[in-house]
Amino acid sequence: MDRRLFLQIVGAGGFAATSIACPKFFGKGRRAAEPPVPLGIPTTCELCPNKCSVLASVRKGRIHKLNPNPENPKSRNMLCARGNAAIQQVYDPDRLKQPLIRAGARGEGKWKPVSWDEAFDFAAKKLAETKAKHGPEGTLWSSTEGFQEVFFKNLGLAFGSPNILRHPSLCLASVNLAYSMTFGTVPSFDLQNAKYVIMAGANRFESIITPDTMDLIGGVMERKAKFVYLDPRFTVTASKADEWYPIKPGTDMAFILAMIHVIIREDRCDKAFLDQWTLGFDRLVEHVLPYTPEFAEAETGIPAREITRIAREFADAGHRAVFYAGRRSSWYQNDFQMRRAQAILNTIVGNWDREGGMVPNRKVAKGEFMFLPWDDPKAGRVDEVEKNFPLASAKDGVYLQTRENVLKGAPYPVKAWMIYKQDPLNAVPDQGKTLKMMEGMDFIGVVDIAMSDTAWYADVVFPESHYLERTDPIEVMPGIWPAAVLRQQVIKPIHDTLPMLDIAQGLARRLGLADYFDYTIDQWIEAEARELPVENGLEYMKKHGVVAFSEPKYGTTRNAAYRFVTKSGKIEIFSERLAEAGHDPLPVYASPAQPPSGKFRMILGRKATITHAALAGLPWLHEQVPENDLWINQDQATRLGIRTGDLVQVTSTAGTVRIKARATEEIRPDCVFMLHGFGKRSPWLKLVHNVGAADAVLLETAWDKVSGNAAMHETFVNVVKV
Amino acid sequence: MAKNPVKRYAMVLDSRKCIDCKACIVACKAENDVPLGVFRNRINAEHGGAYPRLRASFDPEQCHHCDNPSCVRVCPTGASFQREDGIVQVREADCIGCKYCMIACPFDARFFNEETKVVDKCTFCSHRVDRGELPACVETCPSKVRTFGDLNDSGSALHALLESRRYRVLKPQTGNGPQLYYLL
Ligand code: SF4
Ligand code: SF4
Ligand code: SF4
Repeated sequence: MDRRLFLQIVGAGGFAATSIACPKFFGKGRRAAEPPVPLGIPTTCELCPNKCSVLASVRKGRIHKLNPNPENPKSRNMLCARGNAAIQQVYDPDRLKQPLIRAGARGEGKWKPVSWDEAFDFAAKKLAETKAKHGPEGTLWSSTEGFQEVFFKNLGLAFGSPNILRHPSLCLASVNLAYSMTFGTVPSFDLQNAKYVIMAGANRFESIITPDTMDLIGGVMERKAKFVYLDPRFTVTASKADEWYPIKPGTDMAFILAMIHVIIREDRCDKAFLDQWTLGFDRLVEHVLPYTPEFAEAETGIPAREITRIAREFADAGHRAVFYAGRRSSWYQNDFQMRRAQAILNTIVGNWDREGGMVPNRKVAKGEFMFLPWDDPKAGRVDEVEKNFPLASAKDGVYLQTRENVLKGAPYPVKAWMIYKQDPLNAVPDQGKTLKMMEGMDFIGVVDIAMSDTAWYADVVFPESHYLERTDPIEVMPGIWPAAVLRQQVIKPIHDTLPMLDIAQGLARRLGLADYFDYTIDQWIEAEARELPVENGLEYMKKHGVVAFSEPKYGTTRNAAYRFVTKSGKIEIFSERLAEAGHDPLPVYASPAQPPSGKFRMILGRKATITHAALAGLPWLHEQVPENDLWINQDQATRLGIRTGDLVQVTSTAGTVRIKARATEEIRPDCVFMLHGFGKRSPWLKLVHNVGAADAVLLETAWDKVSGNAAMHETFVNVVKV
Repeated sequence: MAKNPVKRYAMVLDSRKCIDCKACIVACKAENDVPLGVFRNRINAEHGGAYPRLRASFDPEQCHHCDNPSCVRVCPTGASFQREDGIVQVREADCIGCKYCMIACPFDARFFNEETKVVDKCTFCSHRVDRGELPACVETCPSKVRTFGDLNDSGSALHALLESRRYRVLKPQTGNGPQLYYLL
């Protein structure tokens, strides 16, 4: 394995050395001739899953500016709007400043500020009561990803609960499962070197900014890669694409299968690759026969001749052509199978593990802290994953199934809910149902930095220290440019807050679980740093914040000895495991239901200023998007007598909201769209409290059949002027 | 690398790569303590066409640090001035808030800062530039739309871009000599 590290010369010469090591990224950075200036304390952003490296500059004890840390090739020497605005979370006058215990009815907003001891005593008593009555499985521990999530999860596990519920089934579980079922791993896409890129719905220039965004914009605008984009909406990404098709929602799989059909029919596959590395190509040949471009035209609305041409161009770009997977993948009930079709399309042009193709992730080695292990839980999961979604990750669980079962009280009652860094009222479709689930709980505890809607309905709120106020475990970020990053404390907590580890310890002590958490964060990261591929790992990390490989490495899995981590050891075009689990072993297309007349399909999306629901209320981000509105096609709006700015009532079977309309040309006539993050219930989120509307109120409960991933584009709504 | 001892700072913008992400705007706010509701930089978005034939473009803009700045000419107190390196600035102590410069600027680059009670605008982050750093908006930009540098340094990336690519400036007819170069 290539061990050439992205090594930094300590201190002064740092930037000069960087430009030599990796001119592609840093050519435009500070020039060698200029004296480098200490820009701040290296740490790691927490505002989205990309986790960019930042340098925090502190002025008189106050964080003044977060700057990009050029030492991390993965963050491409940039910091997006959210990353820059993180300072405002720290100094938000309305943030959570001390533990709170509910004093009135749930959601009434009466709080008693308490000491940490009181908060811990109260919560521990409630959790112990639940355990005594319902067993440890009577508690649910849900969280979203974060570097300290491990401590929260471990507390739930040590407590004995099987119900650890993580965020993937609201996010990318379907894409992860589809690619793992095919390749035994989830690869990255080498957009920096791709020559032909197709994206469907992954609004990569607008919804979230990651290295893929930078690579693609560079690829499209500078290196002239061809970029084809499918989306019912004309997004920023659409505006930069060579070709944009407002595909009929839910029909992506038909488009992909027709591409496969053309590539096979015209013998444009990478035959040698298919012979050597894959299983089931012959079955695929037969399978795609009916999926002609004409069939796909009828489904997608994209002309057959364009599909044929795109398929040819894609195959001609060969291993530098990618059909990009995207990140948030919860769209339709066939999501897993649609992603499988993508994976198969990528496979037949032979882009696996090649420059400009799909590349299996590399990792930076890291040590592990050894803590006292606990017994496995005795009860099964309340979502009965093994039965309902046998291929899904039983470690992460399935959110919507969990809610269904908790509401039913089957297979057993769940009566206490601990929540870390997550806002289920906004993150999970059908807010009404989530509220009902909360009502049924004897106890709800929330750990967060701000009074989210969910925290507003909790019994106890534990204020966590902000990421800039704490040190977190070292995190390995796998990828084409793998890195290990440290998030280290920049300033001392300015309020009476604690990191998740300390909160876990406080509760553990009272629950008789103290032994499992008998360590400090420093001991934890010391153990992790020991195996980093750099000398004096911990010191190095504190100084640089990151250790990374600068050079991509291609083709490591393309050797005769390599066995893919699939049943057959090959790339599985045809999947026996899927067949065994009762699913289609090759992706079978079924036409999605279309909105009945007078209704619209509701589609969702993000802006990079407010990718996550928690961010819409930060003043610098809020002034860019002060309110969300309902996009509706201009012709439809005219027909309904709706003008931009009019208040409309939007109704689904799950709920009703009122929101201002935006009559626009930039959306298909059969869809409406709204941004995520508004219409908050919590009055502590001043700028977005009752401003605009929350999509979660309208979204109906639907999931992908294989992974259980929430399907967020399956809701039809009607719209009337108020 | 032949270097002219006098610097002339300018910025090249590759608007095709601008994705309207607003990172530059938020970075500027943080770096320069710009109050809410007013901005030193902006993205001029233009949307056009009818479904399904649509287009959109995004052009970043801020003070053009003009060669011949009309704002400086009209300032009665000399508070608005141009540094030797071309950066146009407002000396806060001398600004009387008459706002003549705001009217004189053809690019609408200036605003009145209610917190400091003086006219405010983009400074090219001269405090950072003087330390050898890049302006905050340039450094933070994810798609690297912005290239900042010294026009008189023939070895600079900025120079290379202007030599190899076609470009335009906004409102050349004003005679202000704007120094934001937009690549075509
Ligand atoms: S853009 Fe306006 S404020 Fe800036 S130098 Fe030119 S005239 Fe003056
Ligand atoms: S150069 Fe500095 S002051 Fe000017 S717009 Fe950019 S960040 Fe703001
Ligand atoms: S940061 Fe760059 S890409 Fe983003 S809006 Fe500003 S100029 Fe455009």
